Amino acid sequence: MPRKKISDCHRLFFLLLLLVGGCGPSEPVVKIGFVAPLTGDQAPQGEDMLHGAQLAMEHAQAEGAAVPGYRLELLALDDQRNPTQAVAAAKRLVADRDVVAVVGHLNSSCTMPASAIYHEAGLLHVNPVSSNPQLSRQGFKNFFRACATDDLQGPAAAVFAQQALRAQRVFLLDDMTTYGRGLADEFEKKWRALGGDVLGHEGVTQGDKDFAPLLTKLKPLSPDLIFFAGMFPEGALLIKQKAEVGLPGFFMGGDGLFDPALINLATPQAAERVYVTNIGTDIRQLPSAQAFVQAYEARFGPIGAYSAYAYEATRIAVWALRTAGVKDRAAVLAAMQQFKDFPGLFGLQNFDARGDSLIRDIGIFTVKDGAFQFVTASSH
Amino acid sequence: MSAARAWSLGAAGALLLPLLHQDPYHLDVLTTVWLYSLLALGLNIIVGWAGLLHLGYAAFFAIGAYTYALLSVKLGCPFWLGIAPAMAAAALGAALVGTTALRVRGDYLAIVTLGFGEIVRISVTNLGPWTGGPNGVLGIGHPRLWTPHGVFDFGVASLPYYYLALAALLLVAGVCWRLERSRVARAWMAVREDEMVAACVGIPVPQMKLLAQACGGALAGLAGAIFAAKQGTVTPDSFDFVLSVMVLAMVVLGGRGSIRGAIVGALLLGALPELLRGANQYRMLIFGLCMVLMMRWRPQGFFGTRHGRTA
Amino acid sequence: MTGTQLFLQQLANGLTLGAIYALIALGYTMIYGVIQLINFAHGEVFMVGSYLALTLMLALTALVPWPVALLGALLGAMLGCSVLGWGIERWAYRPIRQAPRLNALITAIGLSFVLQNAIMLLYGPTDRQFPNPVPLVRWEIGGVTVTLMQVLVWGVAAALMCGLQWLVMGTKLGMAMRATAQDLKICRLLGIPVHRLIGVTFALGSALAAVGGTLFGMTYGTINFHDGYVVGLKAFTAAVLGGIGNIPGAMVGGVLLGLLEGFGAGYLSSQWKNVFAFVVLVLLLLGKPTGLLGERVADRA
Repeated sequence: MPRKKISDCHRLFFLLLLLVGGCGPSEPVVKIGFVAPLTGDQAPQGEDMLHGAQLAMEHAQAEGAAVPGYRLELLALDDQRNPTQAVAAAKRLVADRDVVAVVGHLNSSCTMPASAIYHEAGLLHVNPVSSNPQLSRQGFKNFFRACATDDLQGPAAAVFAQQALRAQRVFLLDDMTTYGRGLADEFEKKWRALGGDVLGHEGVTQGDKDFAPLLTKLKPLSPDLIFFAGMFPEGALLIKQKAEVGLPGFFMGGDGLFDPALINLATPQAAERVYVTNIGTDIRQLPSAQAFVQAYEARFGPIGAYSAYAYEATRIAVWALRTAGVKDRAAVLAAMQQFKDFPGLFGLQNFDARGDSLIRDIGIFTVKDGAFQFVTASSH
Repeated sequence: MSAARAWSLGAAGALLLPLLHQDPYHLDVLTTVWLYSLLALGLNIIVGWAGLLHLGYAAFFAIGAYTYALLSVKLGCPFWLGIAPAMAAAALGAALVGTTALRVRGDYLAIVTLGFGEIVRISVTNLGPWTGGPNGVLGIGHPRLWTPHGVFDFGVASLPYYYLALAALLLVAGVCWRLERSRVARAWMAVREDEMVAACVGIPVPQMKLLAQACGGALAGLAGAIFAAKQGTVTPDSFDFVLSVMVLAMVVLGGRGSIRGAIVGALLLGALPELLRGANQYRMLIFGLCMVLMMRWRPQGFFGTRHGRTA
Repeated sequence: MTGTQLFLQQLANGLTLGAIYALIALGYTMIYGVIQLINFAHGEVFMVGSYLALTLMLALTALVPWPVALLGALLGAMLGCSVLGWGIERWAYRPIRQAPRLNALITAIGLSFVLQNAIMLLYGPTDRQFPNPVPLVRWEIGGVTVTLMQVLVWGVAAALMCGLQWLVMGTKLGMAMRATAQDLKICRLLGIPVHRLIGVTFALGSALAAVGGTLFGMTYGTINFHDGYVVGLKAFTAAVLGGIGNIPGAMVGGVLLGLLEGFGAGYLSSQWKNVFAFVVLVLLLLGKPTGLLGERVADRA
């Protein structure tokens, strides 16, 4: 066997590796990092977020240089919704001295480990859409979140279901992810506190298609409501198969289901009267967001569930940079101390001591004639 | 070039690389590659030397990672003291699977090990009170070193873990190199070539099989502990069937039974997706194509021996 | 709903999934039976079949009545997958037939990546809705609901399995297949076109996977490029459960696995159903190390 050839390969490989990340910037830049799943099955949601962030950067650039003498750039990375990849991306952003703030991660399971890395590096971390409450309970002073959390979303859904839908007996399902289990647990806590019955709480596997046995099992229990905390592919199948099994009662879910594809995949007939909560009110109802909605839809097409939050988070990061006025991580982070009444898409934006947004509206939507229709927003 | 020279050149190159090139992202990728190499060396003992097909190897990686993670979070156990229990737990798990799997052979063994891998992963997800469920274990302690200048915490930097993983890899590769020339390894290979003959010449076949499983498991446990310390969190989805299959692919691609093969296999399969990043969505397509083509061109792997059994 | 009715309803649920598993498991087992190769890319062939059927179905439903469209989509997917399976054998597996057996595993993984990503690039990463032209007809039999779709799945699966059994046991082609399974070298010496025979086996197995893919899409209503991995793994498990290489074994294994999952989710807990299925599998293989109906043991890694 030609051994020499292989060790040459070996060296060539290292050379290649050196070349890949070798070149440095020629003109002074300051960067905002952005991470979301850009490949894989959640790429469409990640793209929605990226578009929001890009639009925010364009608007910011149009308002003049954030730091005099520096060009503002967005550095977008892909975490493939995989926690290991999220950590690698986080380390890459931390290591890039041009990066002064990060807007990032869709999935709570990715935001969680990555946030520790941003924290140790003292890097401003504005999270757009990860709604797991634990994220802001880690005591990280650099963590801010532009959306409402699941300990608001879960209870809001529970209150709505008991009061407006008059449901008493619920069966809980989640998709066994950080997001799904967290949201379902919050819902369950509130439901019990309100005096409702919890008939059961089970997990379904992501990627599974056949939920008929599970739903058949629920038939003799006849719950008033099935609450599913998970994403829309499984949600759509649950809704569709619930109708096929002939199970009465309401179906409700969290923001993971708030996607027009849900209705299409579940078939509009089966999806009719399904209720869905979202981590914020209806963007189209807000006068403060109309300009954004128009600019976004003119540029990228229909607005996604998460686009506005990525826009908002990016705008907040740029605001901090502009306020600091220097390319310095500590200064940018310190600038967040002065953050008050920021005119955001959802109204005047403020953060509490943990870094969670004080705009705590939970939008509640229902499916009517094959489209989501805004029902009400509950605020705390 | 002699094998020894190639070895020392490779090791020196790996040791010196961070001095020349400090991009932490690339160091992080390479750290992951060293961990893959550890896994590949471990699986090589089971598959390459003892000839036992294994499709659930990620389970032992998970057991090692969770053992250290829980020791660290619940008991405040320092990293260096957590390595041994992590290795022991993974070895025990592997031996346990091995015991139950003694009766089944060949492709049936593959499916039993696959089953165990899935059972471990789903159980870890569902046993929330102990394992943190899908959230995993958070806030795992980073390793610390006591130096004359005070305590050095590894933190979230990439460089310390690069050297930690590399040191572990070099150590393990050295041990494997010694092991390959020992009576034990020859006994394994005899079992691989022909169990009946091995038994006839007095090799305790079941014990040797279990020993191979346990050794392979222990290495996965070591890799798991380092992985947990590096990540700071462990979640069940890091240990799926795809990982088991990828590690197996590394062993086969490098050449079964070959130590440097396992490392080169890990280097290729671990770094190739990163090198192909420029290809964007076509990345995994090209990656798959590369695997198919490599098997056509070098069926025995990079460092495989031709005289092995072809079956 | 009484306990018995619930049991029967879950039996019907499990049988539907099991019938689809069985159709895919047949492909694994046929190929294994002839050349002792686990074609791990078979699950992806199933997935490609479902997408082919989707494309044809969308194109045909506008033009012709639904039974014709369904038949056209089914036959088209079968044909397409046969060509794919034959091509995989010809271009990926045949060149490495003399190489160690584990190599085929790497080739299969590579092929899986290629097929998955090709479909993802062509059809997008999100789930696609799969139209089901079969009218929703339900029958209530003693409190148990059975739909026309379920009956269709059972019927098609049973018919194809019987057909395959006849093909293998009752025709010259089947005899040649069985002979090749016994001893490939001798068969070649006797003038049996072994290569062509193996190609035909791949094509046949892939056609069955295409049927499985079509029925799967129609039954559950959505398909995704990940399905090949998820369902393929289960079907492979089913093939081993029944005794790999054994055709009736694959049917029994598929149905049994579907039932295990159905009863696991229906009586235990849906989050533990896969653990339940795998625990039964492991216990069963420990009791009977060659699967339910298998005899031969391939003692090679």
